[in-house]
Amino acid sequence: MESFSLDCQQLQEYQPNRYPFLMIDHVEDVLPGKYARGFKNLTLNEWYFPVHFPGGPNMPGALQLEAMAQMLTVAITTLPDLKGKVTHALEHHVRFRQEVKPGNRLDIDAQVISWRRGICKGKAVGTVQGITVCEAEMTITIPEILETFLPKKA
Amino acid sequence: MTNKEKYAQVFVETFEVEPNVLDENFVYQCIPAWDSLGHMSMVAALEDTFDIVMDTEDIIDFSSYTVGMEKLKKYGVEF
Repeated sequence: MESFSLDCQQLQEYQPNRYPFLMIDHVEDVLPGKYARGFKNLTLNEWYFPVHFPGGPNMPGALQLEAMAQMLTVAITTLPDLKGKVTHALEHHVRFRQEVKPGNRLDIDAQVISWRRGICKGKAVGTVQGITVCEAEMTITIPEILETFLPKKA
Repeated sequence: MTNKEKYAQVFVETFEVEPNVLDENFVYQCIPAWDSLGHMSMVAALEDTFDIVMDTEDIIDFSSYTVGMEKLKKYGVEF
């Protein structure tokens, strides 16, 4: 399988989140089941900047994590037969290192560590101008697949 | 370490429980840690421990500590 890119319209075929919760703009390179790399451009028009915070706008950490999770999702939903599947978070460990501000481009490199039986373990690093601003280890799932492996509740 | 000890150790480490709770009453979702993620983590740990790959139907039927031992016998794991 070869890698490819997805523009802001194409990536929505693989990522079910929509405004105001779509946190990635472009996927520059995705190798299904392996990695996805792309970015989010931040302008002062982002909906959260007026409130986070007045006079000191910066991207909420929870949304940085969401952006990394969405990029990891694309690395999985580009696999055969998974286009547009809904994913859920199971477990995340995240570290924030620097504020992400209006005018920044948040580059995200998401790597799949494992994908099996509806569960993806992965990691991602967010950078701005080459400087790491956030990083996370994440476990996400496609519930529709995971549920087919679970015992009936006792 | 016997296979039963290895088997119990997977439960102890995956679900962070004491060995003395592992009996026929230790079933899927009996504690918060044995949820969907816990179930798949336990299966993966058992597969690594015994160098096996479990079939989907056995993962679904793996509903308790004791049932699990019966399922693993199919893969040549004797207790």
